[in-house]
Amino acid sequence: MEEIKDRVLQVLTDGNLDYRQKKHHLAYIAESTQDYPVISKEATEALNEKIICDLFEGNAPYRPRYVLPDYAYALKNGVNYLELEPPTNFDEAINFLSILYIQVPSITGYSVYLGNIDTLLLDYVGDLSEEEIYNKLKLFWRFIDRTLPDAFVHINIGPEDNAIARVILRIERELKQVVPNLTLKYDPEITSDELLLEANKTVFEVAKPHIANHKMTTSDFKGEYGVVSCYNSLPVGGGSHTLIRLNLKKITDLHSGNAESFISGTLKKYCEMTLDVIEARSKYLVECVKYYDTDFLAKEGIISLDNFSAMFGFYGLAECVNQLMKRSGKELSYGKDKEANQLAHLILEEMKKIVDARELPYCKGNNGKAFFHAQSGIDIDIEESAGARIPIGSEPDIYTHINTVAPHHHLFNGGISDIFHFDETVKRNPSAIVDIIKGAFKKGMRMFTFNLSNGEFIRITGYLVRRSDLKEFREEGSRYGSALFAANSMDNANVDNRVSKRVISNEQVASKY
Amino acid sequence: MSKLQANISGIIKSSVIDGPGNRMVIFFQECNLNCMYCHNSHTIGLCNLCGTCVDTCPTNSLQIDSKNKRIIHNENTCTRCDECLNVCPENSSPFYKQMSVEDIISEILEVKDFISGITVSGGEVMLHAPFLGLLFQEIKLHYDLKHLSILIDSNGNIEQEEWESLLPLIDGVMLDIKAYSAKTHKQITGYSNEKVLKSIEYLNDKNKLKELRFVLTPNYNNDESELREIARLMKSVSPNVGKTLIKMRNHGIRKEFSFLREANTEEMNFAKNIFVQADIDILEI
Repeated sequence: MEEIKDRVLQVLTDGNLDYRQKKHHLAYIAESTQDYPVISKEATEALNEKIICDLFEGNAPYRPRYVLPDYAYALKNGVNYLELEPPTNFDEAINFLSILYIQVPSITGYSVYLGNIDTLLLDYVGDLSEEEIYNKLKLFWRFIDRTLPDAFVHINIGPEDNAIARVILRIERELKQVVPNLTLKYDPEITSDELLLEANKTVFEVAKPHIANHKMTTSDFKGEYGVVSCYNSLPVGGGSHTLIRLNLKKITDLHSGNAESFISGTLKKYCEMTLDVIEARSKYLVECVKYYDTDFLAKEGIISLDNFSAMFGFYGLAECVNQLMKRSGKELSYGKDKEANQLAHLILEEMKKIVDARELPYCKGNNGKAFFHAQSGIDIDIEESAGARIPIGSEPDIYTHINTVAPHHHLFNGGISDIFHFDETVKRNPSAIVDIIKGAFKKGMRMFTFNLSNGEFIRITGYLVRRSDLKEFREEGSRYGSALFAANSMDNANVDNRVSKRVISNEQVASKY
Repeated sequence: MSKLQANISGIIKSSVIDGPGNRMVIFFQECNLNCMYCHNSHTIGLCNLCGTCVDTCPTNSLQIDSKNKRIIHNENTCTRCDECLNVCPENSSPFYKQMSVEDIISEILEVKDFISGITVSGGEVMLHAPFLGLLFQEIKLHYDLKHLSILIDSNGNIEQEEWESLLPLIDGVMLDIKAYSAKTHKQITGYSNEKVLKSIEYLNDKNKLKELRFVLTPNYNNDESELREIARLMKSVSPNVGKTLIKMRNHGIRKEFSFLREANTEEMNFAKNIFVQADIDILEI
């Protein structure tokens, strides 16, 4: 009890946290007084050793990690719990969504998914002029940034070219806000080149949107999908109970044999153990907390347990592969050498097989299986590269890079990201990026994200921070929850050298107190 | 396919600064101008097997192959210190290699999904007009490549007839004007500019001039009368031709030209104003 009191006091007196951030951390401490969902002793040890990482979701899951409300359904049917009638015009629709957003739970406390916003609002445009839409959306965008100050808050546009998508890109370039994070769903057969070009010009200014391969992602889902948080693709009207990730570097350290025995033994054992943790946490949320029986989103059909699954993530593939190569007496590395790339591919395919073979409860959203996800890392990952990324600073030229990673992108129905780095000169020639994106998608990439050197916005992984916010945070705290996480990432991974970066979330922050 | 070969000093598979979109750029060896501020002076000359580089190489990575009349370069031991380039009396390089049309096509095929087109550059690429003709024809006939745009980056110092057969195959030419006054042009490049001016006029008439660039070099081409002549020339071509004012940068130029000075902000603004006064939409880089 004394220990809890100390932790609470530390939060209460931390001048770098605002009131809401303190409340979030206090809740985390309260949750930590509960016993962890029942798992084996070995799995508990693996969690303690951070071999398996639950991304600081907390001891007692009382809300799903990722919730993707079916906003279209809500708009059509209204929300009784919030006493909201279906909107009849643009203003009402924006007001409706603004209210609903605040109610959507997540690990960070802020909704990770705000909908495919252009599609949602197109029905309400009526005879509004583009300028009127612009003025209304600008206020909406400011509302989102100020009330949901977390870089994991994610909104989608596309794949159709439309007035709202274009206005949003224009607003993004003007307001230069961190929130919301943005994804453009892109399909060469549907999306116009002009919209993709607009998107690229926007990336030059604010390092977003990400461009998602719509065709590939759609084929992985029964219904509609959304891109949320850090490149996670999940079913709309559902989401993911939890995301547990396996540290491939650490399990390679524990393994004493060659690559073959790693794949058949150690890898399999720890994948199963990770799936055990996923199962235990999912059951706790569904059976003990009864979240899906009690939350108004579920009760009113805005989400449904049937559209949920869980996420199996991993990180540190590069370090795992390089170490196994070294042990076999070969100085070959992932991203550079064919043999190392082949081993990486083999490991990923094996993991995918293991994940797909395990039937999990409450995972109907993905036919009873977990979504496979290359997790893009968090600030504590000092020795491990994000997901299946090539280590920062070792990336080969862009074509080799794409040709190395594209062949495994299809495996990750739960999402994957690689970040490509371009020199400032590309600003004068945005159609160059259009060429590369089209080529990358042709080669089978799922998601394309790029950064410019010396941009005001820095992409840590899936989320953004402003350079100035980082600087300020170190001095006096930040309005954005994610800035702290990013500051740690910067310190740990030298983001100014950035070619690609790591993930963030508030829960890790909480665990510090 | 033809046995014709060309000396290729390098290929960049992704460039965002050599025309619209992402492009593969093929650099040809040998130039017919000798600009003081040339940043790639090792692409000006051809190797005459004098052996100076072989003797200078600190890692003994170069060797004369007298039978085949070429320099053998050992990539495994070479540290790319570029001392060989610094000492070459011919402004040449031991690194360029002979390639056939077929060789270049196979390089393009590797990256075809990622590019809008190709740009051929130099050196002075128009010295290889017959080779270019074959290369471009091959691209236009190839099922997987025919959609690619083709741009030529040239100094324009070439006879009109060299352009003629290439124009139907290409999308445009990006061209420099180093100076309007023949005397100044000779000071900067070692040669007069009659052919360059004719090329500009000819390509503009044929609607193939894509970009016209002017490199501002203080003490040479930055006095008001020279700038007004350049502005007049730029105004005389189609408004669709991109115009660019480039600040001469003195990094990477040869030691004997280290006296060249970069324009300061005031000088750049002075030049820019002259173009703006002439109602020219010009990009400054």
